[in-house]
Amino acid sequence: MPLESPILLKNIPTPPWGEFADRKTLSYDDYVKADGYKSLDQAIGMEPKDIVEIVKAAELRGRGGAGFPAGMKWSFLPPQDGGQRFLAINCDESEPATFKDQVLTEFDPHLIIEGIAICMKACQLDTAYYYIRGEYHHHRVIFENAIAEAYANGVFGENSRMGKVNERWPNLYLQRGAGAYICGEETALLESLEGKRGWPRIKPPFPAVAGAFGRPTIINNVETLSMVVPVLANGADWFKSMGVGRPEGAPPNVPASFGPKLFGISGPVQRPGVYEDNLGVTLKTLVEDHCKGMIPGKQFKAAFHGGISMGVLDTTEYEAEMDFDIGKKYNNLGLGTACATIIPHDVSMVAMARNCARFYSHESCGQCTPCREGGNWLYKMLTRIEAGDGTMKDLDLLLEIASSMGSMPGTTICGLADGANWAV
Amino acid sequence: MAWITKQSGTIQIDRRDEPYLTAEIRKDFESRMFPRYPDKQACTIPLLHAIQDLHNWLPYQAIEEAADFLGLPASTVLDTATFYEEFFLEPRGKYTIWVCQSVSCEIMGNTKLVEKLSEKLGIGPHETTEDGRFTLMNVECIGACGGAPCALVNHKLHENLTADNVEQILDGLD
Ligand SMILES: Cc1cc2nc3c(=O)[nH]c(=O)nc-3n(C[C@H](O)[C@H](O)[C@H](O)COP(=O)(O)O)c2cc1C
Ligand code: SF4
Repeated sequence: MPLESPILLKNIPTPPWGEFADRKTLSYDDYVKADGYKSLDQAIGMEPKDIVEIVKAAELRGRGGAGFPAGMKWSFLPPQDGGQRFLAINCDESEPATFKDQVLTEFDPHLIIEGIAICMKACQLDTAYYYIRGEYHHHRVIFENAIAEAYANGVFGENSRMGKVNERWPNLYLQRGAGAYICGEETALLESLEGKRGWPRIKPPFPAVAGAFGRPTIINNVETLSMVVPVLANGADWFKSMGVGRPEGAPPNVPASFGPKLFGISGPVQRPGVYEDNLGVTLKTLVEDHCKGMIPGKQFKAAFHGGISMGVLDTTEYEAEMDFDIGKKYNNLGLGTACATIIPHDVSMVAMARNCARFYSHESCGQCTPCREGGNWLYKMLTRIEAGDGTMKDLDLLLEIASSMGSMPGTTICGLADGANWAV
Repeated sequence: MAWITKQSGTIQIDRRDEPYLTAEIRKDFESRMFPRYPDKQACTIPLLHAIQDLHNWLPYQAIEEAADFLGLPASTVLDTATFYEEFFLEPRGKYTIWVCQSVSCEIMGNTKLVEKLSEKLGIGPHETTEDGRFTLMNVECIGACGGAPCALVNHKLHENLTADNVEQILDGLD
């Protein structure tokens, strides 16, 4: 079933409900006029643990790539001990093909800020850092401005309407990245926040226990936190009436794919862009309906369906349902960021794999040998094959290298190398 | 690539009397930025950005000044600075052109763009023109895939580029 009305994109004109051309940034006043900050007022009147319970009951899963249930993550926090507790909002968005968080940041920054404030209250986190990738210059200015508006209107700072959170006045600061894909990985993001190289940490300890500056820290994606706002206003059952439930026969501890999701579609389609629909919508619907089909003369061959790290859907999988079960059903790594690049019939898959290998070899942080060296070798071999100089032995070697690097085979610290090997 | 550091301990640092880390930046950090974090090291990246925004690159002397100011060894600040693609430890052009080369942009024809730019400017990727006006960077996804192929010129994003309109954009710069 298609989504009846836009949820996250309520204030951001998007087909079929509106036109991209009508998008503009909502100021604090615009946002309040559109019923904004009501969920925060509601949250202020609630016990923190009751807010967490609602998010848990809604089974809201992280929208940043890994799909971890947000409510569960929040409940991993240890009890307050008088020290600081942090929230890091992940707006690094460096996964190739992914451009969804920037739409929220550019046009409806106060929706994100409201979600941030609710999370801080629910989890009793006193200080939040909005980690935005370095290349989003225009977005950074907009968001900095929105933060200033939020302070001026008593959302944060001294005498915040939330009162003291974790015994301190709550604060939200913007943190500007400096061009490194790996800083989207949550522990690399924390290292970068601390002023160091973006080197992922070995887990455990998990950030909820010892994160930024060694203190309890929650890290969530921009879209995840934004979704908390409507969930709180309308309740868990409302949220679960959208999207798809658990696969048939699955026990209740198997996470489902409830709710709507942002999908960013790019490549040779007529109207590329960021759309919103229920989880479970097929890739074909996204391309044919939302994007008005392929550019004349181009045919769908395959797609990177969730950023390049999740593998590809082939021609026969055009009707794959875009939900958190996609990995199991179609044998790939998962839904990822749900932002798809469409590959047309006249682009070679070897060229695409070579492009991905170059990306991973360039963006590897260099800590783990299989990732640092392997990525580079994959790139070299794929370049050779693309030039027509490949041998059959190259194929075996490609597979051998690819299958030996990654956190799944257990040879690396973080998931970057898994993305690299799935591309191959 | 983040892990390659070429310079050794024998490096000679060009010095000038006037500090790169200006009094204004110091004041701003002392009053506004330091209170944001539990320690000063966390200000490393914001401080490097502030210095680079002013001088367009990060001379070694600036790294030393930043380290002094933050109470860190210069090597620690240099370690951080060399990790990030946006920090330039060598002078660069007045305009830096960041051309995206990731999947969506490759599919939509970014190779033609790079060829056109290289030809017009007479430089390859990661090089700077002799007159010091342009630096060309081939980079990974800049998060504007809906408008592929795309590029940033300094802080400004340009989408749906072609060999023709990219030429116009360059000609429009002073
Ligand atoms: C290599 C790598 C890059 C990542 N990049 C991002 C990113 O750019 N943005 C993001 O939100 N999550 C990214 N993630 C996922 C984060 O580690 C983390 O799971 C997420 O921010 C948690 O938020 P969520 O639970 O709300 O999705 C990345 C993970 C890996 C392994
Ligand atoms: S897998 Fe790669 S990116 Fe991740 S920590 Fe290891 S070297 Fe760094």
